Amino acid sequence: MRIAVPVAAVVAGLVAGGVILALGGHDPIDAYNSMWEGSLGSSDGIEATLIKACPLVLTGLAVATALRIGLWNIGGEGQLIIGATAATGVGLYATSLPGPLVLPAMIFAGCLAGAMWATIAAIPRALIGLNEIIVTLFLNYIAILLMDHLIFGPWADPKAFGFAYSRSLPDAAVLPVIPGSYVHVGIVIAVLVAVTCWWLMERTPWGFSVRVAGGNARTAEYLGLHISRRMVIVLALSGAIAGLAGAIELTGVTNRLQDGISVNYGYSGVLIAFLARGRLLGVVVAAFLFATLVVGSYALQTTGVAQPIATIIEALIIVFLLAGDAALAFRVHMTRPPHALEPATAGVRS
Amino acid sequence: MTFWLNSVSVGIVLGTPLAYAALGELIAERAGVMNLGVEGMMLIGAVVGFIVTVRTQNAFLGMAGAVVAGAALASVHAVMTVGLRVNQIVMGLTLTILGAGLSAYLGAGYAGRRPGGEINAIPIPVLSQLPVIGSVLFNHDVFVYAVPFIAIGIWLLIYRTRFGLWLRAAGEQPGAADASGVPVFLIRYLAVIVGGGFAGLAGAYFSVVYTRSWAEGMTGGRGWIAIALVIFGTWNPIVVLVGALIFGFVDGLNFQLQSVGVPVSSHLLAMMPYVFTLVVLIITWTRLRRRRVGMPEALGLPYEREAR
Repeated sequence: MRIAVPVAAVVAGLVAGGVILALGGHDPIDAYNSMWEGSLGSSDGIEATLIKACPLVLTGLAVATALRIGLWNIGGEGQLIIGATAATGVGLYATSLPGPLVLPAMIFAGCLAGAMWATIAAIPRALIGLNEIIVTLFLNYIAILLMDHLIFGPWADPKAFGFAYSRSLPDAAVLPVIPGSYVHVGIVIAVLVAVTCWWLMERTPWGFSVRVAGGNARTAEYLGLHISRRMVIVLALSGAIAGLAGAIELTGVTNRLQDGISVNYGYSGVLIAFLARGRLLGVVVAAFLFATLVVGSYALQTTGVAQPIATIIEALIIVFLLAGDAALAFRVHMTRPPHALEPATAGVRS
Repeated sequence: MTFWLNSVSVGIVLGTPLAYAALGELIAERAGVMNLGVEGMMLIGAVVGFIVTVRTQNAFLGMAGAVVAGAALASVHAVMTVGLRVNQIVMGLTLTILGAGLSAYLGAGYAGRRPGGEINAIPIPVLSQLPVIGSVLFNHDVFVYAVPFIAIGIWLLIYRTRFGLWLRAAGEQPGAADASGVPVFLIRYLAVIVGGGFAGLAGAYFSVVYTRSWAEGMTGGRGWIAIALVIFGTWNPIVVLVGALIFGFVDGLNFQLQSVGVPVSSHLLAMMPYVFTLVVLIITWTRLRRRRVGMPEALGLPYEREAR
């Protein structure tokens, strides 16, 4: 059932998306055909899907990691943007760095900035129990405005004529590609990060203590675990992963800071983590699925279908997943269903 | 002086949709259901209101359409969280994303168009002629005038009627309420759906009344500010209204400061409402924790009759 419900939810989401397409006067079969052609059905499409999967794997991991301690990091979007912004700052201004150090410095700056941005939400959560969802969300809007300030102001490209992007980054700041393709190495980094997170959370004593703290705060207190400290560390780690996504997107794809460097990656990360049921390696699979949908929907645009259809299908998949789980819980009602994603501290209060 | 008067006037207009959205959320939360889908419901309201206005050339029909659209999306939240007892946080977030996607999809052909109908300001005779405050307070549209009455109405409903007692009971002690015959499920359904209608209206206020245009994601996170407002307002409709007006004022200051040419980046000025919200949120929360006032006891918890 762990796999059957997500698979059924994906199918139901695609069918419902087809109904919406049909209502909009498009042939759903044609539409899905061109989505397939544009994504997994052609070698260009596969490369585009791999490129798109990279930020989605990372933002999904950011959410899934925070969920281990029962926190909802809805701020992946802002942490990604702040990460890209910090990396741009290093790329534009640390000109005295030797060439081979530029990329590592930018990526480090991205992770650090993402971690700090998440910590702004982690500290009030740990100290006074202020709901991290609202704080991480507000920080998204503040991050976007900060980036806008820089790309319209001090960092604006003088040749941009009012379009929103920064000056281009130096050549040393371009992420290398996987030999024989156009795919930058970000996807490899993302999968390595996924495996590392899985190892950290599932195979180390510290990871176990985090899961205990997220699963049952009272047990953790009896064991003498510092829950608040772990909350701050885990949320900072989560922010660092999202910040990494920003630095990679910047160095691998856009090569300058620009509006729309994140196409709702942070928010999609929440859905991805949920579809993966919070499993760190499952996030990789779910992110690939969402990447396919998004890349496919770009192909749809050429046939006149509005691109947001991908977002709609993503959200519908989650609605069906939730409904499916709930329906199962109703059927076998002898015991309370185990909810991997609902540790005691994930509620509104606590 | 005119600067501050203008800021107050703009603040009232910008605070109005925040107040509607926040009052809607308050009703749902009083019944024990947290609705994090407000932003999505506002966007759906904004786009449906705009489309209906363009098609019918009647802005009031547009606003009515927005209420229905917001309530329709909220009914999904109600069925899932009250009926199927799905996690309210996940469901709300999903609906925000669904609302953003659906509104962008529906509104694709409407960006840059002007709606036909409009909602005009109605100066109140005599009062609008008062010196200084007349034009600031008494030269607005009907939705602005209605909002204090609605806030007081909700206060009376919650604290002075039997239904209000049931509503509070459903949000505080659903088990006890159910045992004494209060229709907990019905009340929760109603509260969420009515709250969604308010959110839809708030969204359409932006597209149909205030900017008179549609743009993707145009509510810009104000749904989340509305949710935060319920917290500072300690779940009291009157305080929530005052809070909404203060936030509208801070939001409006941004435009006012830009128009007088303050040498600060417009993007940095636009951060003000969010930073302000965060700071006030942290202060209120610290205070709230000490006294635990206002927050419905069962907020965020699905009610399971079998687990009573």
